[in-house]
Amino acid sequence: MTVPLGLFLVLLAGVSLLIGDGTLALPDTAILLEIRLPRTLLALLIGGGLGLSGAVLQGALRNRLADPGLLGITGTAGLGTAIVFYWGLAAGFAPALPLGGLFGAGVGAALLLGFAGRAPSGPSLILAGVAVSALSSALLALALSLAPNPFALAEITFWLLGGLQDRTLSHVALAAPPILLGVVLLLRLSSGLDALSLGEDTATSLGQPPGRTLLFAAIGTALVAGAAAAVAGGIGFVGLAVPHLLRPWIGERPGPLLPASLLGGAALLLVADMVTRLAPLVLPQAPPLGVLTALIGAPFLIVVARRGD
Amino acid sequence: MIRLATLVLWLAMLPAHAAKRVVSLNLCTDQLLVLLAPENIAALSDLSRDPALSFVAVQARRFPRVRASAEAVLALHPDLVLATRYGAQTTVALLERHGVRVVRLDLPEDFPGIARLTRDAADAIDVPERAEPLLAEMRAMLASVPSPSHATSAIAWEPRGYTAGPASLMGSVMRAAGLTNAATGQRLGLEALLRHPPDVLIVPDTPAFPSLATDMLDSPSLRATPRRRLPPALTLCAGPFTGQAVTLLSR
Repeated sequence: MTVPLGLFLVLLAGVSLLIGDGTLALPDTAILLEIRLPRTLLALLIGGGLGLSGAVLQGALRNRLADPGLLGITGTAGLGTAIVFYWGLAAGFAPALPLGGLFGAGVGAALLLGFAGRAPSGPSLILAGVAVSALSSALLALALSLAPNPFALAEITFWLLGGLQDRTLSHVALAAPPILLGVVLLLRLSSGLDALSLGEDTATSLGQPPGRTLLFAAIGTALVAGAAAAVAGGIGFVGLAVPHLLRPWIGERPGPLLPASLLGGAALLLVADMVTRLAPLVLPQAPPLGVLTALIGAPFLIVVARRGD
Repeated sequence: MIRLATLVLWLAMLPAHAAKRVVSLNLCTDQLLVLLAPENIAALSDLSRDPALSFVAVQARRFPRVRASAEAVLALHPDLVLATRYGAQTTVALLERHGVRVVRLDLPEDFPGIARLTRDAADAIDVPERAEPLLAEMRAMLASVPSPSHATSAIAWEPRGYTAGPASLMGSVMRAAGLTNAATGQRLGLEALLRHPPDVLIVPDTPAFPSLATDMLDSPSLRATPRRRLPPALTLCAGPFTGQAVTLLSR
């Protein structure tokens, strides 16, 4: 499954370079390298990272609803980035942007860890996540309405629903290192998650203490979600949907699900972004990226849910 | 003492028939009021002091501010309220019902319209003789534009990727500066602009506060296209000062 998914992704990435903002043609090199390549790379990195962190969180917390978005990490990351951005801290020092996102995601992940220590897998964890998520979007709206420029409030859709429009290679350079580091950390959790699926005591006896697995899952997710929010806003749904979409093919074991979710997340976000790019052909304005990840992912998720757990 | 002297001087300058206490509720009428009859200002809108939006931001700081709320305006007992046809209409209607004289000014999109607007405003404030000097200055700026040796295409790219169409004030400024407007007022993304770059890109001055809307205008991908920066205050509202935008573009 991983090999055909990988090949499909390479094909998608090739097609992605042919799709412009409302056009379908091979562009000159400047447009190819400076507009479509960064956009494609970011979709792959962010989609892959979010898909993977969804799969890891669902395994580590043994809760099928776990996802960086639902647990509030995406929200706190967006809040951290937005504060850094609108107060002009990133104007002189570009890395301040991902640092703000990482700080926000770190706070979100720490809240999650604190809560998971008490109620590792129960619905109260999801409830706490929803609360953090609501709090962070409320604070985001507050921060933006206080921001000293006339556009800030209109830009709330970007921070809540994400977007990859007009991103440049400098955005890739800012986001890629933390995302890649996070992906490496998360992929190494494969055996730890498999062990954890057999129960906490078994995992400890296999030399995979659940506490350590959870800690690295939180750190890896914070790296991915923080850097993603810094350059692409609050893209949701990928982490939640992708592992569910892949389980019918991959099986229930969390380990093998990780590389597949990485590729599947990348594919979902890339397809969603390709659709937003083509949308101006039929719509007056391109819908935000987060709208499309949900529009594309949700029908599949409904089918999976109907087939039944 | 100095303040008293200034006050006496003002009173001496004041034509007996002028509307003595004028309130402006709109950034565009604020600027005309400051230019035409600073001595008659009872209050200006909040935005009048914003250096990014207002041509008279510095002068405006001396005057009281008022929110566009009927209660706040009535408390100032104005002889005249300046407004536009858009915005704060419920407030303005309420003021009129309380017997306040309100003049709604049309905001023009071209230079003949600016001349009419300036005269209308001056008439409304009862200082008709003050319009002509301002307009003469504007006409001199327009007349000093060198005739272009060849056609130069330009696009005015505004926050969020909007462009200025031919019927807009910015379109008139571009025409007066001898530039050919290559945009029709549609929204342009980075890629569309790179596909057909104009000879010149007109963008607003770097704003004091960052936003995604203005960030996209500084994309490094567009470094090959020459750009002219304009203070947004010159073209946001039509006024005699809009002539300065033409001077800046034709340089």
